[in-house]
Amino acid sequence: MSKLIQTISSGLKDIFEVFTLELHRIFTDGGVMLIFFVATLLYPLIFGAIYKHELVRNLPVAVVDDSRSASSRRFIHKLDATPEVNVDFRCNTLEEAETLMHQRKINGIFYFPKEYNDLIVNGEQARLCLFCDMSSFLYYRSVFTGASSVMLDEMRHIQLGRYAMAGTTGANAEEMIAAIPYDDVKLFSPAGGFTSFLVPALLALVIHQTLFLGICILSGTIREEGQTVNVIPERLRNRSVYRVVLGRSLAYIMIYIPLIAIDLVLLPRVFGLPHIGRLGDLCLFLLPFMLATVAFSMTVGMFIRERDTVVLTCIFFSVVLLFLSGVVWPRSNMPAFWRYFSYLFPSTHGIQGFVRINSMGAQLRQVQFEYLMLWIQAGGYFLLSCLFYRLFFLHERLKQEGWTFELNGKRLSLPLQKNSMDLDIQ
Amino acid sequence: MMKRIVNSLGRELRMLRQHPRYLILLTVGILFSYVFFLTFMHEGLPENLPIAMVDHDGSYLSRRLCHELNATQGVAVVAVYDTHREAREAMQRQEIFAFVEIPAGTYSAMLDFKAPHLALYSNNAYLLSGTLSYKTLSTIGKLASAAVQREVLRKKGMSETQIMGMLQPVEIDAHLISNPWGSYLPYVLTTMLPGIIGVMALLFTIYMITNELKHNTYQVWLETANGDMLSALLGKLLPYTFWFTLLGIVGNIVMFGGCHFVCRGSFLAMSVTLLLFILAMQAMGVFLSGLIPNQHLAVSVGGIYGMLSFSMAGFSYPVDSMPPALQALSYIFPLRHHYLAYAKIALFGGTFTDYWPHLCLLLLFLVPGLMGGLLLARKSVANSCQTSL
Repeated sequence: MSKLIQTISSGLKDIFEVFTLELHRIFTDGGVMLIFFVATLLYPLIFGAIYKHELVRNLPVAVVDDSRSASSRRFIHKLDATPEVNVDFRCNTLEEAETLMHQRKINGIFYFPKEYNDLIVNGEQARLCLFCDMSSFLYYRSVFTGASSVMLDEMRHIQLGRYAMAGTTGANAEEMIAAIPYDDVKLFSPAGGFTSFLVPALLALVIHQTLFLGICILSGTIREEGQTVNVIPERLRNRSVYRVVLGRSLAYIMIYIPLIAIDLVLLPRVFGLPHIGRLGDLCLFLLPFMLATVAFSMTVGMFIRERDTVVLTCIFFSVVLLFLSGVVWPRSNMPAFWRYFSYLFPSTHGIQGFVRINSMGAQLRQVQFEYLMLWIQAGGYFLLSCLFYRLFFLHERLKQEGWTFELNGKRLSLPLQKNSMDLDIQ
Repeated sequence: MMKRIVNSLGRELRMLRQHPRYLILLTVGILFSYVFFLTFMHEGLPENLPIAMVDHDGSYLSRRLCHELNATQGVAVVAVYDTHREAREAMQRQEIFAFVEIPAGTYSAMLDFKAPHLALYSNNAYLLSGTLSYKTLSTIGKLASAAVQREVLRKKGMSETQIMGMLQPVEIDAHLISNPWGSYLPYVLTTMLPGIIGVMALLFTIYMITNELKHNTYQVWLETANGDMLSALLGKLLPYTFWFTLLGIVGNIVMFGGCHFVCRGSFLAMSVTLLLFILAMQAMGVFLSGLIPNQHLAVSVGGIYGMLSFSMAGFSYPVDSMPPALQALSYIFPLRHHYLAYAKIALFGGTFTDYWPHLCLLLLFLVPGLMGGLLLARKSVANSCQTSL
């Protein structure tokens, strides 16, 4: 019994020692401090400012009215009145409007052909042309939404007139026009804003990526300085690696608990983003997300040989991870290979779960799959990182013993290995 | 001058031969992102998005609606639920993106002309899928009303042209300039993929320059160019300018040739834009490494700046809708100018008179590059003073 207590107490002491050592390394490293504290707080603020206005409103468009009639003018008035579109230019010819479009002064052109009014008066189908700027999805969406809402209103107006001519008026005509009317309910973000959709996902991604980059940089630094072994206190080397992995993880967890609370709990409330999730569910979900991310980063970090490689080669992966998460492109339409590939990363489940709890008010049982996957990842990556640490120590020790073994042959002297770059250049 | 550049270039190539690892890693990363994005969204527009029905009516009408919905390209009915709550929960599990609720007695109410109401629910927390599935649902909703109207008008003895005039008096003939399919790919990939190459060029530049400082090979590097900073920088960076531009051009060939994205202007102009964009990113790299001599810090700052350029380019969320201060700030991101030039050249088929301002702005980035060079040169003087002391 006393032996057990001794083991536990020595274990805790070791963990604490590694923990303080890791904290010291974090707080003395400018690059890591920048990523851990500046990036996690700066990015959300910038994203909040960039996407502040949610919707694309009052897009400038031009109108070419060859019909010059009461009906075309009514359409144009209504168009100008929509929140999406502003009729800023009235051109005489299509060429004139096209020039404006090429100068990027407008995002759409409405063209009313000469016969527009005649067709409406004759009770036939009239057509107008819309040319859309396709350089951004949101331009297309706004111009199109504005145009179709005016079209629907105008259609109703004309239809009522035509039914009146046919002898059907009042409520009867209304019922004919909309025989099966429908109500549309846009759930979770009634205005369909871009901010409410993208920023929560970006916040979760920022947490994942900063944690990942920071941990990988720290792991890379150890390797770069050639002190894989030295960073661990001498007496710990032959003991359980769990203590090392746990000690390091604890340092990151301690730093990230307040950061996650700020980014994922406080900021949605400050920025007025959707936050209809239950706080308890959110916290319960964020715990495995954090643990899985730490364990995942520790595992990958074992393969980083130089610290700046991570930033250099992994930063583009942020964009890939955002798409893999299935927030931008629906998961149901991903090729199967990429869908399974996405299951490897904590960010996929983390972003999915966070968006659903935070923005859609899901409860824990509705994000069951993600929750389970995150716990599996946390456990799996933790074991993997322990295994890699063990192998790594073994490798290092062999290398060291080999070095002392061949003391006479100077081939394997440590400085030569460490600064091979200098020697090559000179 | 030429000889100095060649000297510096020769040294860089020798170093590259000894340590090709990073360039290979970056190239693999770039190839991966091209393969990833082109295969990931190969559909262009998501099709057959999963939706559901909540059917309280269980009539001919609800079955007919279900068939009609399934016949569209946009959505597929994957489940029929009994209650609203079940459907909402399925939506929160992300099994469906939208659902139609058909109240009890809809069919009989329709036959009595009592205008029964349907309800369409769509999930706007997933903007693309929500918008697209709602679009299909509302089209079917309108068609349902139109079908009833058509039957009545036929029985009244109207001709088909008259009926069409009654059903849809105004039609919009939409022309989507240079993206007739409304595909999602050209919006995103034409700017994001060159952007990834640019960010890598930026980080690689910072890394290579600060490496010389870190390994104390700075003087050796300068001496190969006889102490001329500009030649030393040109010799060091030009091979990578060439390589990244080449990768970008190959990428453009894949996008505009292989994937048939529309390029109405000249391909040469696109390539020149790309070259200037890579140069601008490298110049920003020189500037940052001149400003921040610590490699770790410089690379981290470069990473933050590089990642922001994807948001500030304005291809996903238009810059004109950002706050004015950020609109001004968008000028310091070369990707913004690349995107604007791309839109003018490829989408609108603009000529040199249209897009020259963007190219000039890209060229302007060489000024901070030169400033960075000056800072680096001053550092070399300080360094040599230190060593002589």
